[in-house]
Amino acid sequence: MATKQCEPLLIAEDSDEDFEVLQLLMQQMEVQNPIYRCTNGDKVLDFLYQEGDYGNQDSLPRPSVILLDLNLPGTDGRDVLEQLKQDRNLREIPIVVFTTSSNPKDIEFCYQKGANGYLIKPVDSNELEKTVQAFVEYWLEVNIPPISNSAQ
Amino acid sequence: MSHDRKLIYFSRSIQPHGILLVLSHPELKILQVSVNTQAHLGIPHQNLLGQTLDTLLEDSQIQAINKCLSKDFSGINPSKILIRTPKGDRSFNVLLHRTTNVIVLELEPVVPQTQENFFSISALLKGAIAQLQQVSSTSEFLQLVTQEVRNLTGFDRVMVYQFDFQGAGKVIAEAKQDHLPSYLDLHYPATDIPEPVREAYKRGMSRFIPDLSAQAIELVPPKNLVTQQPLDFSLAVLRSVDPCCVEYHQNIGVAAIMVISLVKGQTLWGLISCHHQTPKFVPYEIREACELLAQFVVSELTNKVDREELDYIVKLRSLQSDFIESISQADNLKQALVNPAPRLLDLVNAQGAAVCLEDEITLVGLTPTVEQVRDLIDWADTQVSNPLFHTNLLPKLYPETLAFKDVASGLLLLQISKVRRCYILWFRPEVLQTVNWAGNPNGSTTVKADGTITLSPRKSFEQWQETVQFTSLPWKACELEQALDLRNAIVGIVLNKADELAQINQELERSNQELDSFAYAASHDLKEPLRGIHNFSTLLLRGYESVLDDVGKSRLQTLIRLTRRMESLIDVLLKFSRLGQAELHFVPTDINLIVNRVLEDLRISRQDFQAQIRIPRPLPVVNCDPVLISEVFTNLLSNALKYNNKAEQWIEIGYLGEEGTGDWVLGTGKSQKVNQQSSQFPITFYVKDNGIGIRERHLDIIFRLFKRLHEQHLYGGGTGAGLTITKKIIERHGGRIWVESTVDVGSTFYFSLA
Repeated sequence: MATKQCEPLLIAEDSDEDFEVLQLLMQQMEVQNPIYRCTNGDKVLDFLYQEGDYGNQDSLPRPSVILLDLNLPGTDGRDVLEQLKQDRNLREIPIVVFTTSSNPKDIEFCYQKGANGYLIKPVDSNELEKTVQAFVEYWLEVNIPPISNSAQ
Repeated sequence: MSHDRKLIYFSRSIQPHGILLVLSHPELKILQVSVNTQAHLGIPHQNLLGQTLDTLLEDSQIQAINKCLSKDFSGINPSKILIRTPKGDRSFNVLLHRTTNVIVLELEPVVPQTQENFFSISALLKGAIAQLQQVSSTSEFLQLVTQEVRNLTGFDRVMVYQFDFQGAGKVIAEAKQDHLPSYLDLHYPATDIPEPVREAYKRGMSRFIPDLSAQAIELVPPKNLVTQQPLDFSLAVLRSVDPCCVEYHQNIGVAAIMVISLVKGQTLWGLISCHHQTPKFVPYEIREACELLAQFVVSELTNKVDREELDYIVKLRSLQSDFIESISQADNLKQALVNPAPRLLDLVNAQGAAVCLEDEITLVGLTPTVEQVRDLIDWADTQVSNPLFHTNLLPKLYPETLAFKDVASGLLLLQISKVRRCYILWFRPEVLQTVNWAGNPNGSTTVKADGTITLSPRKSFEQWQETVQFTSLPWKACELEQALDLRNAIVGIVLNKADELAQINQELERSNQELDSFAYAASHDLKEPLRGIHNFSTLLLRGYESVLDDVGKSRLQTLIRLTRRMESLIDVLLKFSRLGQAELHFVPTDINLIVNRVLEDLRISRQDFQAQIRIPRPLPVVNCDPVLISEVFTNLLSNALKYNNKAEQWIEIGYLGEEGTGDWVLGTGKSQKVNQQSSQFPITFYVKDNGIGIRERHLDIIFRLFKRLHEQHLYGGGTGAGLTITKKIIERHGGRIWVESTVDVGSTFYFSLA
């Protein structure tokens, strides 16, 4: 099943190594979606509100899914999640948390704040591959994103 | 001897060594007269009766008497007068006092100065006082008083009595002729001194009876014609002697006595009592000197006793402050209270003490048994409403204590906490146990034909013993204060400790939270580079396969293996730190189901599962957190599987009989459910194997985090955290885990869940 090409994916990830491996894996899986990366929480918010560094960029696409690391420099991933889910305009964008933390408090917190999924980053590359594969298949291939995206 | 002898003080007779006149006031008419005026004055008493006093005395003397009467005087005021009698001029000491509505005039002949009085009496008195001022301790001082009085008077025996709070007397000092028996330390019941006499002594009266066997002299008329009442004799110096008193003294061979009271404040502190074996007249001046000396003695005594009391209080105070300081710094309250033992006893001057902390009783000194103390506390709980209870008559309040009256006639019970059953009890022995009477008066008691018992000091002592049975020395106010202060201190200390504990708990909680978040943060931050190393090694292996030789590849594989291992170590650490925080969810859990599920999982995950599983009888249902207890069984069973190199491997899973013995009945096949709540003992489970065993020296360290006994490549190499986590889970359940093992034979892990 081919991915929906037009659907942009926003990845909030501060670790270059993690991002590189993620990219590699997605290449292997032939993901066609445009991938945007923000390296900290503030940039995620700027990207979505088109402020700061992204203020003068025209027509930044609205991501159809956000892959969010929790431990981000600056504004923490948890705060980003909370803000976006409180925003009437942005709350419908699915946010999938992608983090090392297996802390039950984190898991509970994220779902309370409206996270649409919670994936744990395994160390083992095979496990990681399976996790990324599952994400791609579900969120980029099978899942129907919110209508407002296609309406844009 | 306690019959009412009040009548004595309305006696109709006096002692013969003086004259007594009863006069009307203000006319000074003679209303009553003693019948011995002829002997002393050469005037028949009939000639005096009905006359005014000027028939006997001169105007100047009458004026002096009137002057004396016009002053508000309550006591006796001696003065010397010369009376011109038909027998010539005679010197008398005049003693004047007023009763309800009459004047009583007593005349005592002045004895001509003898050789004895060569030194002036005031010089003797000064000498005595100078001597007495040299002495500091009360007992030495009183001993010297008896000697000085003896020097002044020449009595065979001079004693100082002291009265206790019940009015019983004790001989505390004595000076005597060597051949006489000692009465030192003799006790007398309060009844030995009738109440009216005691009252007279309290008013500062002294008593002088030069000849106990002398014939008493009547008054005429016997009753006061105005009042129609016999005379109130209580202040009359010449008052005749009570027959009981005569008998008492004759029994011990005493013919003359003198008694001077020692009044301290408003209370009768004691008496100076003098005995002589033959009749003995002591001139008035010397008796007066003795009375002065007695007043000096009282004022000195007040100072000394007050000082000694003060010294005692100061001693108690300093003892207490040291005590409180040491218990406030102690970790173990009980130990601090009872060590060193004398401290607790000295605090309230007790001979025994029991410290009861949460029903655990520790004894110090002379005490009843632990069981008796326990009963006593139970009894006191029903009797006592305030934190301090004290008695010096315990057996009279609580007859069960008769059995141990010797050590505990006195009880001081301090309730520190009724709810937590914290008490301190102090004991004092029965007074009789502490009284030694060395002396033994020769006059043995005899019972007469009519059944009356001869009176003697020995008899009095026995009577006194009866009155003080089951009694201890009373607790002083300052001692009670000490006990209460101690209670407040202990309560304060306990509260402080509770505060400290709460604070520590708070800090612990905070640091636990910090540790918790630290563990997560650390695990996250550690895993990120680890993942990088792992993934890039994987990428190298996959992407550069053609470039790498076998050595390079195997090194990269090692790298990957090490990252996996490190990850499992981080996970374990995280899990372990989380265990302390996690809330346990207790539900009644069928351990059979748990064990079966764990075994199933192990059969799937371990290809080398070949051990025979033995479960001798169905396992019980217990209240526990099933997830965590599953983990316990997983750890114990996988260890039992791992560390076994026998051809025929077996593992036995069971629980001990409720008696906690190692004997258990083989299962009957019926599932028997044991409800843990109803069981008296926590159930002890065991997992037994016939594996490689553990050396004795390793039995303790196997529970340490990351402590492994074997190399990584042996026995499937774990992280060394399984048993640590197991132990923590069991401890979180309030239970404990221990192991018995023989190398090459096998190990048995036991664990109980509280």
